[in-house]
Amino acid sequence: MSSDVTEPKWSLRLPADCSIAAIRSVYDLIREAFGRQDRLEIDCSSVDKADVTSIQLLLSAAKTGDAQGRPVVLTSFSKSLRNTLRRAGFASDTMIDQHFPQKKDGV
Amino acid sequence: MSAMDPTEVFRQEASELFEVLEGALLDLGQRPDDRELVDSAFRALHTIKGSGAMFGFDKVASFTHEFETAFDRVRKGEIKPTQELISVALAAKDYIRALIEDPQSTDDIIGDGILDDLKRFVSSDQPAAPVAEIAEAPPLAPVESKQAGWHLYLEFESHILRNGSNPLDLLEDLCKLGPCFVVPVTDGIPFLDEMEPEDCYLKWDVKLHAACDKDAIDDVFMFVSDEMKLTLSPLEHVEAPAPMPLFLLLDEEPVAEMPAPLVEAAAPPAAAAPVAKAEPKSEAKSEPKAEGKRDDRGIATVRVQAERLDELMDRVGELVIAQARLTQLAASGSDLSIKMIAEEIERLASSLRDTTMGARMVPIGSLFGRFRRLIHDLSRDLSKPVEFVTTGEDTELDKTMIECLADPLVHLIRNAIDHGIEDTATRSANGKTEQGRIELAAVHSGAQVLVTVKDNGGGLNTARIRAKAEEQGLIAAGAVLSDHEIHQFLFHPGFSTAQTISALSGRGVGMDVVKRTIENMRGSIDLSTRPGQGTTVTLRLPLTLAIIEGLLIRVGEGRYIIPLSAVEECIELTAEDERSRGRNFLNVRGNLVPFLRLREIMSSSGSPDRHQKTIIISTGETHVGLVADQIVGNHQTVIKSLSKLHSDVTIFSGATILGDGTAALILDVAQLVALAQSKVEKHISEAA
Repeated sequence: MSSDVTEPKWSLRLPADCSIAAIRSVYDLIREAFGRQDRLEIDCSSVDKADVTSIQLLLSAAKTGDAQGRPVVLTSFSKSLRNTLRRAGFASDTMIDQHFPQKKDGV
Repeated sequence: MSAMDPTEVFRQEASELFEVLEGALLDLGQRPDDRELVDSAFRALHTIKGSGAMFGFDKVASFTHEFETAFDRVRKGEIKPTQELISVALAAKDYIRALIEDPQSTDDIIGDGILDDLKRFVSSDQPAAPVAEIAEAPPLAPVESKQAGWHLYLEFESHILRNGSNPLDLLEDLCKLGPCFVVPVTDGIPFLDEMEPEDCYLKWDVKLHAACDKDAIDDVFMFVSDEMKLTLSPLEHVEAPAPMPLFLLLDEEPVAEMPAPLVEAAAPPAAAAPVAKAEPKSEAKSEPKAEGKRDDRGIATVRVQAERLDELMDRVGELVIAQARLTQLAASGSDLSIKMIAEEIERLASSLRDTTMGARMVPIGSLFGRFRRLIHDLSRDLSKPVEFVTTGEDTELDKTMIECLADPLVHLIRNAIDHGIEDTATRSANGKTEQGRIELAAVHSGAQVLVTVKDNGGGLNTARIRAKAEEQGLIAAGAVLSDHEIHQFLFHPGFSTAQTISALSGRGVGMDVVKRTIENMRGSIDLSTRPGQGTTVTLRLPLTLAIIEGLLIRVGEGRYIIPLSAVEECIELTAEDERSRGRNFLNVRGNLVPFLRLREIMSSSGSPDRHQKTIIISTGETHVGLVADQIVGNHQTVIKSLSKLHSDVTIFSGATILGDGTAALILDVAQLVALAQSKVEKHISEAA
């Protein structure tokens, strides 16, 4: 199997609903993707419902990836997710970058 | 994992919250200045809203939110909760309940109407409570101290998100008090494998740069104060160049950089935690670890379906019967070890019976709470102000008894308000307070529970009851009857002295049903009244309907059970009593007690035993002797219903299975006492 970064399988797109009502399935999705791939790219562009549980899940994914040496990269934060992050105190880009490893603008 | 549908769990929890909400609203009507009641109502509303949203009851969440918003002026102390406002709030509560339990029956127009009423009441210029002036002061007003703000450390219990609470909303509310410097603490975030995605792991370190009152901060966390650790300490100085307040950032585009202190504070999570603990209350709550607290609670209470308890009780009943057979078999043999095992099983079965019955016991307060609303509504509809007082709410009764007791009590309370309590003009004219009073009390009395409904109204009109009884041909005109006997006509089917039929009472349907229901529960009902001062109805009920302690007796060849709770004493029938045939009275320490010869009632064949025994039983104040051939002893009696074929045999209330597998009939004490009394009356009238 190819491990090309540009292959869609590398990127896991989060669903629109990442609130507590749906977080269990998002959690299963991420864990399943973790089990399959050496590195993981999580596309956050579609998220329009986010809350504390979504933030925690992304933090945990980043922490787990870091500990296992399997990079986790988050891309395209939606406005809704960004707003939720700010409400939780991740108030600046610097702070978000510090906690959430991101790939920006295709980098 | 529980097999219960989560939506059903929400419905059950909401049902309990509605009771809390209703209780708080009704209490507010009595104590409008009690802040704790307002907080309690708000906590219930908030949880219903949060859980409703989580379980997909969007209409519930939206309506409750509007309700909460409208009622907010009460919470802030800006307006007093008047009776009118309480009535509308109760209607709002009913509407939310309908939205959850029977959404088809609801209509948005009704809901909107209720909200409009609520908004109209809370927006009207009512005289403010004394606390309003304090509350109206801006929470950000500087206090006379050097304090420059507050340092908060917020740690929520792991399950808080599941309850529908949202820490982000709380942070937002906090930011409304003044510029906030919010730093998320991420050290508690677990690895994916160890994570419960619905649990809360984030904590927050907050510096609030506003010299607001501590109460204002407490208000923000009021709904979740039991589910979080809030460590609060005053900030003596503004510690840094004023940070960019979080609430200003919320609606803005991303900010490129933040002031240095924020970033620094975020880096070492451990450093953020130690904060001076300034508030003993919060500190005490936070002692145990969140996880530990949750575990303790899980063990303390388990929700069990009522049918399972019924099933368990049935099994225990069968076990008790089997154990009785084993005991009998062991007693007839000579094997000592079998006897020892039989005794051990008897002890265990008895203990299991008590434990099972204990698990079925429910405080009667859960029932009393329902009547507060009934009285509130009746009082309003009839324009009769009524004070409702309850005592003995902790008295426990079998859950089946509680269920059976609801309807009789509704009848009694309706009657008390409709017929008992006079209108305000009459009360004033009679020198009484305008407000009537209804007392509902429960108390244990031996193996029975006494439930009383007492009003301070006009009392029973004995002359009118008598006239009505004569009119209906129940008694002959001029017949000699005591007041007590005349009052018993109230329990006659179709008997009513009400001159007008109202929606509440007056059709003569009710009191006979009440009596029948209570007697079906092996209880009895007493009436006492004092003209001009009120009426008291006393219900005497057994603790349980499933298994009772009985006294096993023999009459001829048959064996019968008398409920031990009704037995006063056992005496031997003396030769003098034996000679008193036809008179049928015993002299018990100077008191004449009528007695019934059970051999005659049961038409027993053969000759009676030489030394006959008399068991004195009682219902309330009335004592009657039952003459039997032999008292066999105590018997744990598992009550079985009689077949339809025997339903018209009134002197038996049920049957049980004895150790040898034969059946014994259970005597209906109330019916036997009534039978003895009728014999006495016949004897007196014949003598006259």
